[in-house]
Amino acid sequence: MPPDAAAGAASREIAIGVLRYRCETDQRPVWQAYRVPFTDDMSVLQGLQYIKDRLDGTLSFRWSCRMAICGSCGMMIGAVPKLACMTFLRDYHPGPLTVEPLEHFPIERDLVVTLSGFIKKLESIYPYLIPSTQRRLDEGEYLQTPSQLARYETFSDCINCMLCYAACPQFGENPDFIGPGAMALLQRYNGDSRDAARAKRMELVHTDNGAWSCTAVGYCSEVCPKQVDPANAVNQNKTKSALDFFVRFLGQPAHSRTGASDGGPP
Amino acid sequence: MTGPRPYLRPAKTAWWAHPPYLAYTLREATGVAVAGYALVLLAGLINLASGEEAYDAWLNFLKSPWSLALHLLFLIAMIGHVWTWFQIMPKTMPRLVIGGRVLPQNWITAAGLAVAMAAFVIILLVAEWMQP
Amino acid sequence: MNLVEADIAIVGAGGAGLRAAIAAAEADRGVTIALISKVYPMRSHTVAAEGGSAGVVQAHDSLEHHFNDTVVGGDWLCDQDVVDYFVAHCTDEMVQLEHWGCPWSRKADGHVNVRAFGGMKIERTWFAADKSGFHILHTLFQTSIKYPSIRRFDEYFCVDLIVEDGRCQGVVAIEIATGEFALVAAKAVIIATGGAGRVFLQNTNGGIVTGDGMALAYRHGVPLRDMEFVQYHPTCMPGTGLLFTEGCRGEGGILTNRDGYRYLQDYGLGPPDPWPRNKAMELGPRDRISQAFWHEERKGRTITTPHGEAVYLDLRHLGARKLRERLPQICEIAEHFLGIDPAERPIPVRPAVHYTMGGILVNIETASPLPGLFAAGECSSIGIHGANRLGSNSLAELSVFGKVAGASAVAFARSVAATPIATLERQAQDVERRMLSLIVADGGSERPAVLRDEMARSMEAGCSIYRLGAEMQATCDTIATLKERYHGLRLDDRSRVWNTEWLAAIELGYQLDVAEAIAHSAINRRESRGAHQRLDGFDTRDDASFLKHTLVHYRPDGPPRVDYGPVTITRSPPGRRAYGVEAERIEQTEEASHAA
Repeated sequence: MPPDAAAGAASREIAIGVLRYRCETDQRPVWQAYRVPFTDDMSVLQGLQYIKDRLDGTLSFRWSCRMAICGSCGMMIGAVPKLACMTFLRDYHPGPLTVEPLEHFPIERDLVVTLSGFIKKLESIYPYLIPSTQRRLDEGEYLQTPSQLARYETFSDCINCMLCYAACPQFGENPDFIGPGAMALLQRYNGDSRDAARAKRMELVHTDNGAWSCTAVGYCSEVCPKQVDPANAVNQNKTKSALDFFVRFLGQPAHSRTGASDGGPP
Repeated sequence: MTGPRPYLRPAKTAWWAHPPYLAYTLREATGVAVAGYALVLLAGLINLASGEEAYDAWLNFLKSPWSLALHLLFLIAMIGHVWTWFQIMPKTMPRLVIGGRVLPQNWITAAGLAVAMAAFVIILLVAEWMQP
Repeated sequence: MNLVEADIAIVGAGGAGLRAAIAAAEADRGVTIALISKVYPMRSHTVAAEGGSAGVVQAHDSLEHHFNDTVVGGDWLCDQDVVDYFVAHCTDEMVQLEHWGCPWSRKADGHVNVRAFGGMKIERTWFAADKSGFHILHTLFQTSIKYPSIRRFDEYFCVDLIVEDGRCQGVVAIEIATGEFALVAAKAVIIATGGAGRVFLQNTNGGIVTGDGMALAYRHGVPLRDMEFVQYHPTCMPGTGLLFTEGCRGEGGILTNRDGYRYLQDYGLGPPDPWPRNKAMELGPRDRISQAFWHEERKGRTITTPHGEAVYLDLRHLGARKLRERLPQICEIAEHFLGIDPAERPIPVRPAVHYTMGGILVNIETASPLPGLFAAGECSSIGIHGANRLGSNSLAELSVFGKVAGASAVAFARSVAATPIATLERQAQDVERRMLSLIVADGGSERPAVLRDEMARSMEAGCSIYRLGAEMQATCDTIATLKERYHGLRLDDRSRVWNTEWLAAIELGYQLDVAEAIAHSAINRRESRGAHQRLDGFDTRDDASFLKHTLVHYRPDGPPRVDYGPVTITRSPPGRRAYGVEAERIEQTEEASHAA
C-alpha cells in the first residue's frame, strides 16, 4: 500500500504485540502489548524505537542503518520474516501487529537471536577469491566483462539478514543444513570468473548438509529483501553436484573450469 | 550472575496455516498423483497383455463415473504439477547471461509451459488422427 | 573478567578496521590480532556508503588533479603532504580490493569503470552499482576470514582504553551477549570506530555511529582536531535523513526548487548547461550545495514536507531502465518510504549530517600523540579532508590509511614489551565498577532517550549549515547542562544479558563529549571556511588568523580547552575556491600565464 501524501497529518495508533524473553527472569518467552502512535512513513523499526525510547527501555533488538543494507533488523513481522526498517506500520493498522524474533534460531533476548552458527557456516565455504594465478598490483585489475559480472552479481548482494533461514523449513528441521544464505555466497564465488577454487567449494555442496538438504520449497527467495534468489544458488548446485558425481562415477576427475584443482589461501 | 540462557522455540506444526508452506505441500502432493497415474497406465498395460476379455473390462472400468472422477483429479493435479515444475525449473539452472543481461527466469518458465502446451496439443491431435 | 592477550587490538571492524587487520596479518604472520566490534562486521556503517571510492585511472587524469581537487575541496585546511601520500596510494588500494574480489562495475572491455563525482575535475570514482561501501565492506570481511591470526570479538562493546606507563596497552569491552567484561591487553591499539553523526537530529548515519572511539581517545588526553567541520550531505530524505547518493547527480540528476528552477546557478556553480559537467552545478562540492539549500529556504523557494523544507532531486530524465540499473537502492527507498517512483516524480530532499571531517589527531603514520594508540578512518583526522570532504575520498581513505595503521601498529608492537596482564587488570576492574554503576543507579529520573534527543536538537540548531555565535553558545550551554543531567540517568533495564539500554547510555556519554568538542571548536573559529559557515560577522575566510587546525582538549571538570595547530602547506597556496564557470575561467587564466 503506498503511503499517504499527508504522512505527517493527524497520527493514528497501532497495537503491537512483541514476544519478549529475558533469561534472568523468564522461563519462556511471553507476549507484551504496546500501543504506538504512528504516521504513514514510519517503519516497524521506528515503532520499536518509540517503544524503547518512551514506553519500555528494556526492549532489546538489533538495528543500525535503517535502509535495508546492514541486515541487522530481521524479525518475524506478522509471522513473516521481514526487515523491520523496510516494513511499514501503515500496512498493519489497526493491528494487533505481532513482532517476534527470527524463526528457527535460539532466542538470546527479546528480538535478538543467536547468529554464531550462521557466521561459522559463512566462514566455512572459503568465502574469498582464490584466483588461479595471482596478479601483482601494478598489473592492474583482473578483466571482467559486464556479462561475467552479471553471472554472479545478484548473489553478491546478500546482506546476511537471515530472513531466508527463518523461511526455510528444512533449516528449521536440520540446523546443520548449510542453508540458503551461505550457499548464495558460495555460488557468488564459484560463479566469479576470477575465481579458480570451485572444486574446493563443491566438496561442501556434495554433502547431506550441503545442497541436498534442500527440497526446493522456494520460500527463501520469496522473503529475500535484496532479490538475491538463494533458491537458485542452492538448486543449481544440486544439478552441478549430480553432474560431478556422474562424471566421477565414470572415472574422470571432477570438472573444474580452469583445470586447477586446488587454489589454497596464499 | 545468571548468564545467558538461549531459548529454542518448539517447531511450529501448523504448516497448513502458513500459505507458502501449504503451497509447497500441495505441490509435492501432485507428485503423488503423477505416481498414481503411472500405476493406472501400468494396470492398463497388464490388462492389455492379459487378453481381450481383460482389456475390454479395463476399458469399461475407464468409462465408469468413479474412473472419470479419478481422472479429473489426476488432470487437475497434473496441470498443477506442470505449472509448478516450470516455476521451479529456472531455479535449477545457472544464470544465463545474454548480451550483458541476465535472462529473466519467467521467460524460461514461459518457454517451458509453451513446450508443454504444444506437446499436449500434438498428442491430442495424434490421438484424434489415430482413431479408427 | 575475561582476560585476552594479543599483539594488536583493533576497535571497530568497518572498512578501516578490517583493512588494518588484514594489513597487520600480512605484515607479520606471527602477530596476533584482536578485532573488536560492537556489531558483526558486516553491520558496520561502511556498508551504507553508496557512491564510490576515488582512484586515478584515466590517461587524461593525474595525481596532481586529484591532489588539487582535494585541497581545493578542503578549502586549504588539508595537510598537503598527507594528501600527496593519499592520492598516490588510492589506485593501488582500489586494485587490491578488486584482487580480493570486489565486484566493481565494469566497462564493456572488462576494465573497471569510473564515474563523475562532486568536486572532482575528472572522473575517478570507482563504483560497485550504487552499493560501493556494501561491496567493499563485504569484500574486506570475507577476505579477513583467510587469516587465522585475526581473532574476532563480534558484539563486544568497548568501554575504555587501558593506559599504563604513558602508553595505550589495551581496551576493556563488554561482551554484549552476557554482560561480562573482557580485558584485551595489547601492545598497540587501533581505533577505527567511525564518525559521530548521530549527535545531530537528522543524519544519514546508522544507530551505531556515536563517536565511541573519538570520545575514548579524547578522555585520555588525545586532542580531537577540526571537530567543527561536519558535512551536510545535500540530498537526504526529510525526517529519516536516509541518503540519496551523490551518484544520482553523477548520473545526471538535477536539483530544482519549488518553481522547478535549477537554483544552484545563483550560487556560483553555474551556468546550468551543458549538463552534466564536472565541478559545476549539481556536481559541485557538498558544502556549497547544502549552503545553497539554506539560502533557498530563507528565500521561501523550497517545498514544505511533514519533516521540514525540501527541494527536488529530479531523476526523471534518466529513464526507468538506467535508474533500475545504476541506482536501484535509491528507487527502492524512494518507493517504500515516500511512495515515489523516481522515473515518474522528483524526490524531495534536504541536507542532513553525513560525515565528520574532524576526529582523533594522528600523524601520517596514523599514530596519535598517545604512544601505542593509532586511529584510521572517519574517527581520525589525518589531514586529507580539511574543511570539507569530497565524495569518494572517504572510502578510499579507509583502505589507504587502514593499511598504514595495520603496518604502523605492527612496527610499534614489535618495538615494545608486553606488560603483564595482572598489572592492567586493576584498571580494568575500576572500569567495570564504573560501568556497572550505571545499571544500578537509582537516585535520578532522567531517560537516556530524552537527553539524547535534546542534545541532537540543540546541535541541529546551533551547529547547522550556517552558524551564529549566540546559537553556538546556547548549544555549548545546553550540552554542559545535559552532561550534568547525565549523572541523573535511571535505566529501565537492570539486566546484564543484551542490555542495549545500558549500552545506549554509555554511547550517550560518548556523544555528549563529542558534541561538546564540536560546539566549542565551532564557536572559537571566527571565520567561515568549507563546512563551517557563519553569518555573524565572520562570514569570510580569514587565512591570516585561521589557516590552522582546531585542537580541542578534554577537561573532566569543565568545558574543553581549545587551541590550534599548523596546517602543512607544501605546493598549493590558499587560493580562490571556485566551481562552475568561475573555475574554468581561473584555469584558463592559469594555463595562459604558464604558456606565456
